[in-house]
Amino acid sequence: MAMIPRLFPGVLVLLLGTFLLAAPARAEEFEVQIHHTEVLNPGISPRVGDVLSFVNHAEIAHNLYLTYEDGTVVTLDTQPPGTTKRAMLKQAGHVIVRCWIHPIIRMEFDVAPH
Amino acid sequence: MGDRAQDNRLRRRAFRPALTVPFLAALCALASGLGLAQAGRSAPPELAGEAVRSTKAAFRRPADTPFPGTNPFSPEKEALGKALFFDPRLSRSGSVSCATCHNPSLGWTDGLPRAVGFGMEILPRRTPQVRNLAWAAAFQWDGRADSLEMQARMPITAPAEMNMTMDLVIARLKAAPGYAPLFRAAFAGDDPLNAGNLLAALATYERTLVSPRAPFDRWIEGDEAAIGPDAKQGFALFIGKAGCSACHSGWRFTDDSFHDIGLAVTEDVGRGAFAPPSVTAMQHAFKTPSLRELRMQGPYMHDGQLPDLDAVLEHYARGGEKRPSLSFEMKPLELAADERRALVAFLQTLKAEPVPVALPHLP
Ligand code: HEC
Ligand code: HEC
Ligand SMILES: [Cu+2]
Repeated sequence: MAMIPRLFPGVLVLLLGTFLLAAPARAEEFEVQIHHTEVLNPGISPRVGDVLSFVNHAEIAHNLYLTYEDGTVVTLDTQPPGTTKRAMLKQAGHVIVRCWIHPIIRMEFDVAPH
Repeated sequence: MGDRAQDNRLRRRAFRPALTVPFLAALCALASGLGLAQAGRSAPPELAGEAVRSTKAAFRRPADTPFPGTNPFSPEKEALGKALFFDPRLSRSGSVSCATCHNPSLGWTDGLPRAVGFGMEILPRRTPQVRNLAWAAAFQWDGRADSLEMQARMPITAPAEMNMTMDLVIARLKAAPGYAPLFRAAFAGDDPLNAGNLLAALATYERTLVSPRAPFDRWIEGDEAAIGPDAKQGFALFIGKAGCSACHSGWRFTDDSFHDIGLAVTEDVGRGAFAPPSVTAMQHAFKTPSLRELRMQGPYMHDGQLPDLDAVLEHYARGGEKRPSLSFEMKPLELAADERRALVAFLQTLKAEPVPVALPHLP
């Protein structure tokens, strides 16, 4: 009898763990288009583990970077016209996408936890 | 903050139409209009007319000057900002004003290859002109300031430039009895003579420095006779074969962005100092300067390393030094002597008749 309440937290952890492990399988990929010096926000609401793929439709090169709420910066490579760069979202919270080359580029969105 | 960003984006979208497919179509049409395309291959006249219109629209000046919601325009602020801009008391030595380096008689710069700072020391960079910055998105050659308000503090407090502290500037201005009423007229609050308001006033004055309409603008607005055929050919090259407008875009002829154009390397890595080392493209990258009101006598580039326009065009023809950071948009190109003349003739049409600047009477 007394075993059940003691087991309960363990089961919970196990269950949660299964969820977390299962989550990446459901990761979504969101496509974001770059036109000239604009990154067009399609109105995404991604979760941690989802992937953003930035497709450069512009006739100029870009070099995007993501800044997470805690200041972590993730830089993607220079992306010539016609190329795609992917970023896996690592943290929940507000994210700002900017371009090292073109500071007028700016896209913001929120990442939900799992 | 979100609001302002949104605001800026919308405004910018209005002023910076994307130069994409319609743009290329327009380019062909424009070239055919100028008699450069081969006969018989030009688009139907109506389409050509529409396409030319949209290309020209990408270079049309905006009607109004934008001021940020956080620092709106007022004539009192402008007057105060102007006094401050010309006041040498903003420098430790009491002898250097903003206008010493950004001299209206020299096109709001100093005409030197590199600026001369505190103690006559030669600084690493050339003084840029300060017109049409109300529309700009990043300031300084390396973009380390996000706003004119933020920028204005930098020369005042830089030891190599005006070598002051904001506290000392405020103390000096408080000692000059004429300033307090100017600050009171421009700003609300109990003690408006403070650093934040000083920077806001300087920024407001700078936003009012806008190039008058140039011959190029009159041509864009439809006056075919405003510029000569050589300048029109130069413009077609500029947005076409020579690829200049990949970076020198829009009515200010800048993308407010950062590129390594393959100049001779110095210790100054430009925006590279602020980007992680992995961001190769930012090494030796500097802000694209506006080409409006270009000083035809030079010198050019962030450190004045090119003495004249011949050297600039020769640099672009060669395509810059091949190195990992070289901009993707820099490619060698053949520019015949008459094409170089045409480009220079075009650049000349971006200069307006100078307007007289009335010097302020300092308090
Ligand atoms: C000693 C000469 C000198 C003085 C004095 C000076 N500047 Fe400058 N200014 C420069 C130089 C050089 C740069 C480029 C600096 C850089 O990129 O690091 C510059 C850059 C600027 C820019 C950026 C322009 C752009 O296109 O990004 C602005 C705006 C400006 N100055 C305004 C001012 C104001 C306002 C003052 C007075 C408070 C001032 N300057 C005083 C030399 C000077
Ligand atoms: C890859 C982007 C890019 C392209 C393409 C480009 N420019 Fe530039 N231009 C720049 C940048 C960036 C600078 C400043 C570089 C520096 O100082 O390090 C500059 C500087 C200049 C200057 C000097 C302005 C000054 O105030 O010092 C002139 C003139 C100029 N460009 C004309 C042209 C012409 C004409 C073309 C076409 C043949 C062209 N540019 C193509 C980015 C570009
Ligand atoms: Cu970019």
